[in-house]
This record gives sequence, structure tokens and C-alpha cells, in this order.
Amino acid sequence: MQYHFQLEGQSLIATLRGELDLHTSPRFKEELTRLFETHSNVTHLIMDVKGLSFVDSSGLGVILGRYRELQERGGRLFFVQANPQVKRILQMSGFQKIAEFSNSTSDVLERI
Amino acid sequence: MTSTNWIKLEIPSDTRNVAFARTAVALFASQLDWTLDELEDIKVAVSEAVSNSVIHGYGLQEGLVKIGASYTGPELRIVIEDFGRGIADIEQAQEVGFTSIPEERMGLGFTFMHEYMDEVLVASQVDTGTTITMIKRVRDLES
Repeated sequence: MQYHFQLEGQSLIATLRGELDLHTSPRFKEELTRLFETHSNVTHLIMDVKGLSFVDSSGLGVILGRYRELQERGGRLFFVQANPQVKRILQMSGFQKIAEFSNSTSDVLERI
Repeated sequence: MTSTNWIKLEIPSDTRNVAFARTAVALFASQLDWTLDELEDIKVAVSEAVSNSVIHGYGLQEGLVKIGASYTGPELRIVIEDFGRGIADIEQAQEVGFTSIPEERMGLGFTFMHEYMDEVLVASQVDTGTTITMIKRVRDLES
């Protein structure tokens, strides 16, 4: 599991590659939480999941936890380029009600 | 070629082994004729069941997880067994959104297992362990 973060104005872009599960999610959660704490101006979270090949409830729990924080900041959650399997599990978990799906990060940045 | 086959795995309840378990079972399951989505369903269901053993069965402490997968004809059967704490209320544990660790977990593990497999059977005894049996059948595309 590899990931990197990029700050773009009020948006935090998280680019994920690999599998987000019970083993890999704690470190990702830690990093994400730290960035939220150190950058209080971050309002939106853009998850670039093009390279995410697997996610289960352990990984989704981490994303949902950050969504609660975004809500408090009045921000939005985006998923960019989710593959069909990842999109299916996101939809089944109810993420389509709280997040927006897009094909490109630049589109999202324009929309915000 | 016979239409029956099986594998058995024993792994320590280490979080690193969750990926190994789901990949190994999916690789075995791929001997049957699934769609890509269905193989992904199997991976998610195994990941959830093994994760449950690691987190809830053993509380992230050391323990043994036994994994069995077999098929007879088009029916795949996966059995995940631990010898940990067990589940006091099996029905409650399977409710959508129920979790014993609400600050970290979504409570969707069993929901995914039920959604992605045709049958999920849970047998558990407190302080003895939990056995999750999951069945999925290959759809007959001709019918």
C-alpha cells in the first residue's frame, strides 16, 4: 500500500495505490489524521483511488472517520477514478450519499 | 477431472496475513468459473471474516486462524475458524452498523459477507471461538 498527500488550497488530495485493509489502514489513518490536525484550513478531501485495487470495511472505516471531521468543517468528500469493484463497495456502504464521484482531480478542484 | 477440490490453511492472527488469506482463497476459488466481480466478492468476504478473527476473536493478540475452502461442482464453501473470545450475541453482531469498537469500525463486516456470499452461517461460543461458514455458487449463465 502506497499513498501520498498533496495540499491544494483548502483541499487535501490523497492518492492511494494498493490495498487498504486491516493491516494497511492504521498507518494511513494516522497520516491523514495528522494532516487534518496540522492543517486546520483543509476543508475538502479528494481521494484519488485510481490505483486502489482493494478496500474492505477496515479501510472504509478510516475514510468515514475523516468524513465526520470534514462535516464539522463544512467540507466535501470526493472519490476520483474508482475502479468498478471499489465503486461497488463504496456504493454498497452508502458512500454515494455522502461523497461525490468524479473522473479527474482537476474537475473536482474546478467544481469546489 | 474431478469436480471436487479443497485447501486448508493455518495462519497466525497477524494483520499482515489478512491479505494473504483473501488472495490465497481467491486464487483457489478461481478454479471455478466466476466473473471478476464475483471473485472480488469472495476476496472481500474472506477479508472481513479473517479480520473479525484477528480483531474481535483475538483482540489483535496472537492466535490461530484456520481457513478451509472447498468446492463440489459449482458450490464453493469457505470456513474461517478461530479459537478466541467468541461472540455473545450472534444476531446483534450481524446487524448492519453494529460494532463493538464504534470509534474505529463501521460494523459492516458481516453485512459485506452476507451481501457478497449466498449463505453465511455463524457458530460461536464465548471464550471458545467462532466459525464462519460462507457459501457461494457459480451462476449458470445458460439458464
